[in-house]
Amino acid sequence: MNAQRVNPSKQAPSLDEPEILCEARHVSHDFVLPNGKPLRVLEDISVAVASNEVVALLGPSGSGKSTVLRILAGLIKPSHGDVLYRGQPLHGLNPGVAIVFQSFALFPWMTVRQNVQTVLDARAVQRSEAAERAEQAIGRVGLGGFEDAYPRELSGGMKQRVGMARALVVDPEILFMDEPFSQVDALTAESLRAEVLDIWSRKERNPSSILMVSHDIREVAFMADRIVVLGGANPARVRTVVRNELPRPRDYQSTECLALVNQLYGVITGSELPDVAPTAATRDATFIEPLPHVSPGEIVGLLEYLDARGGKGDVFRIAAQTNQEFGHLITVVKAAEMLNFVDTPKSAVILESEGRRFVQAPPEQRQKIWRAQLLKLSLFREIADVLRRRRKHSIDRDFVLETIVMRMPQEDYEKVFATFVGWGRFGELLSYDETTATITRYERRRSGEPAVE
Amino acid sequence: MQRLLSEAFEQLGRARRIPWVDLLLVVGLAGLLFTFIDLGREWTGVHRPSIAIDLSPSALPRYTMFSLIRGLLAYVLSLGFTLVYGYWAAKDRVAGRLLLPLLDILQSIPVLGFMPGLILALVALFPHSNVGLELAAVIMIFTGQAWNMTFSLVHSLRSVPSDFREAATVYRFNWWQRLRKVELPFASIGLVWNSMMSMAGGWFFLMINESFQLGQRDFRLPGIGSYMSVAVEQGRGSAMVLAIVAMTTMIVVLDQLLWRPVVVWAQKFRVEEGGEQVLMTSWFLNWFRASRLIRALRWQARRIRRRFTRQPVAVAESAAPVPQVAERSAGRLSFLALGILLAVLAWGGVKLVHLLHQVPARVWGASIAAGFITLGRVLISTLIGTVWALPAGIAIGLSNRLSRVLQPVVQIAAAFPAPMLFPLVIAVLQWAGVSLGWGSILLMLLGTQWYILFNVIAGATAIPADLKEAARSYRLSGWHRFRTLYFPGVFPYLVTGWVTAAGGAWNASIVAEFVTFKGQALRAPGLGAEISGAAARADFPHLAAAILVMSVLVVAFNRTVWRWCYRLAEERFSLSK
Repeated sequence: MNAQRVNPSKQAPSLDEPEILCEARHVSHDFVLPNGKPLRVLEDISVAVASNEVVALLGPSGSGKSTVLRILAGLIKPSHGDVLYRGQPLHGLNPGVAIVFQSFALFPWMTVRQNVQTVLDARAVQRSEAAERAEQAIGRVGLGGFEDAYPRELSGGMKQRVGMARALVVDPEILFMDEPFSQVDALTAESLRAEVLDIWSRKERNPSSILMVSHDIREVAFMADRIVVLGGANPARVRTVVRNELPRPRDYQSTECLALVNQLYGVITGSELPDVAPTAATRDATFIEPLPHVSPGEIVGLLEYLDARGGKGDVFRIAAQTNQEFGHLITVVKAAEMLNFVDTPKSAVILESEGRRFVQAPPEQRQKIWRAQLLKLSLFREIADVLRRRRKHSIDRDFVLETIVMRMPQEDYEKVFATFVGWGRFGELLSYDETTATITRYERRRSGEPAVE
Repeated sequence: MQRLLSEAFEQLGRARRIPWVDLLLVVGLAGLLFTFIDLGREWTGVHRPSIAIDLSPSALPRYTMFSLIRGLLAYVLSLGFTLVYGYWAAKDRVAGRLLLPLLDILQSIPVLGFMPGLILALVALFPHSNVGLELAAVIMIFTGQAWNMTFSLVHSLRSVPSDFREAATVYRFNWWQRLRKVELPFASIGLVWNSMMSMAGGWFFLMINESFQLGQRDFRLPGIGSYMSVAVEQGRGSAMVLAIVAMTTMIVVLDQLLWRPVVVWAQKFRVEEGGEQVLMTSWFLNWFRASRLIRALRWQARRIRRRFTRQPVAVAESAAPVPQVAERSAGRLSFLALGILLAVLAWGGVKLVHLLHQVPARVWGASIAAGFITLGRVLISTLIGTVWALPAGIAIGLSNRLSRVLQPVVQIAAAFPAPMLFPLVIAVLQWAGVSLGWGSILLMLLGTQWYILFNVIAGATAIPADLKEAARSYRLSGWHRFRTLYFPGVFPYLVTGWVTAAGGAWNASIVAEFVTFKGQALRAPGLGAEISGAAARADFPHLAAAILVMSVLVVAFNRTVWRWCYRLAEERFSLSK
């Protein structure tokens, strides 16, 4: 009984026919909103992790990747569908799993050694054996000598090593990693990725498999055997599953790897930014466009970026050059597209004439163009209409919330409202007083000219 | 001075290899042991109708020790209560819905509300010894300590970060491991600070707790509180001063030998990263850690513990116990306990209704009217406290040097039970010809202004340096700076100060509006006087009615005005966002 326990699945002769370790079948999940209504966040998700493989869940932020991971770990019970562990329905925690957390989740009052050893105490492992195993696990992640340090003395990368040691010490069949390197500096993350693969590739030892959540396309191309691309928000679905059979060790710069990265970008941009955007005419009158949660500043930034580079760019490159999280950048592009400022054929982003006019105009003029574009969106048009008709040109926050909830039941209405106010303020379309929670028509103080034509 | 002390002790410890530290420790332990034996004899002694208090200075150290030990016992009781009640309220959401409002109500009941029932019951339980009376005193001190600590624990347990919780679940901590390794460490800093505050709150009614009268019956215990009250009765100025000095000494010693080391020790549980804040040190803790005797004892203890902890049966790891079974039985236990609590509450409610049935409408009217008079006094005293403590606190907090020197002083001033100073103040008031109606406001202020002051100091030290620099670089004038930066910056802290001060003022009204001075009873119209008067006459229906009125007023005020202030502070003036 020590850490070098032999994993039967790894020595079995049927290596070419891997065994399914854990699996989600047609899982859907609802969150309950503060108003008591359910919000569907995942729809019909099927994911399986077999032995001896690295599976990655890839998707933009808000696509429910971490929720899928927690469902497979048994931390969250899905609203619908089944979760299986080695073919049996899962009740409670998944017995073969240990998690490495994005935020490390180390207890600051325990030393490195205590943090690692305490999870063995929870499993009633004998003290002497626990000490030995903790020592080994700490050594495995290269932290020998730091046993008696407190987490606050360590850098982000070292903290995540402790998180890995804590997971490895319980000898898990599957190692779950929830955005493990996103709070670690880039160089350290690079070396950690290689080390994780090193640890995993020792075939005679656990973990047999790794399930990781990531929004970094290059990272999953480097690490994973199978990449499950999630997309859409509320609910998120499995867009596609991409097999990655590149030989290990992999090279970021190899043509095959770059091609895979490109393919993944294509999948995400293709699904998140459909080439044929449905136009207002094809929609029925009650439909309201969901507002992406993006600030006007970010949209202006994107337009400025494009304008300075000949009015054209590639989402892929923009993300790399502006150091933006890819998933969020996609949302910004989508927002700019809604306002007719850009067009997105494939993964390219092209500045439209309206966008060019906007970005080259002086500030006063910019607001006017912005306002005109806003009024093409039905939510803004509707609220502006109501504002004009009302006596004092003012409405309650609740009125807008109700409109949003009624027309966009799938959206997080608080977020939509915040975006609505942000965009409206930017276009001098409306003012919002937070203390009284009322929206009023924007009145220019100096000239007294009404803002809404 | 602290550094001086600690250096001196270090010198002592190292010099000439004589284990001074250990010798002092042994002497201290022996002293404590002796006091316990003495107190044990006192407790089990034959119950006498009335104890004569010896006013000679030589008797004072013994009395002080007695009071100290009562306070510490009450603290142990409070801690136990907090752990059980707080854990229950935080973990069982359904039970929490009853337990938290109940705690709010308990907090609003002044000690005199618990006193008659407690004393009569416990004295009846132990008719032949002092145990009943001593226990009653301890429990009454407890009622001044426990509630704050419990609120703090509930709040902490509910705000354990979700990644800690998930990690504990994934790595299968059972409830006990969860509590010991995650939840209690996370809650400990708040609990320690609230313990300090609560201990101070417990001393407030020491004079009443150790020398109470119910109608004709006189229940008195030897202690510093009763020493003081006898000194006041007899008008012995020198004895009063001695008692005040002894009380101050006790508070300072307790601060240096108990609280400061505990606060320093608890710093290891801080969660936030970044080592910017200045860590506190404690000479006593350093000294304690340096002691060879202690080190040897700890080593022995660890060895013994190792030998006796049961070696866990080597369960197959993947077959670790299913937590659901434990969860279900915990749920059942909670349900049962809740049922019992509800039954007790219902029974108490029926009794209360019976008691209140005897109260004539006239008394109700008078109590309610008196309640509003006292409310006015509470508000005026809070206002006066704010007027001086706000600017003073900002000035102290903005100066590093001043705050380092004055903050501990203010904390000790806040811990000093103000009622012990009342006789001196009343003498001055009488000489100046001020009636108790106005004078009682001053008496309330005496106890509560410190809460405002030290909260404002804490707020002013927490104002970010960049905001201060911005204000200076734009050359804002003093008043402008106060209005735009300092006041909004300290406002959340000020609200906490107000709530504590107002709560303290309500409590103080009981002793401030009804004062015995030089053998004559002075009273100012007000709810506090109603309560004290009813207790002195052993008029229980009237007492219950007056306390009910106070409780309703305090809870209603908390729920409306203070809650509104809190929300304002959080939404508009929070600097943490």
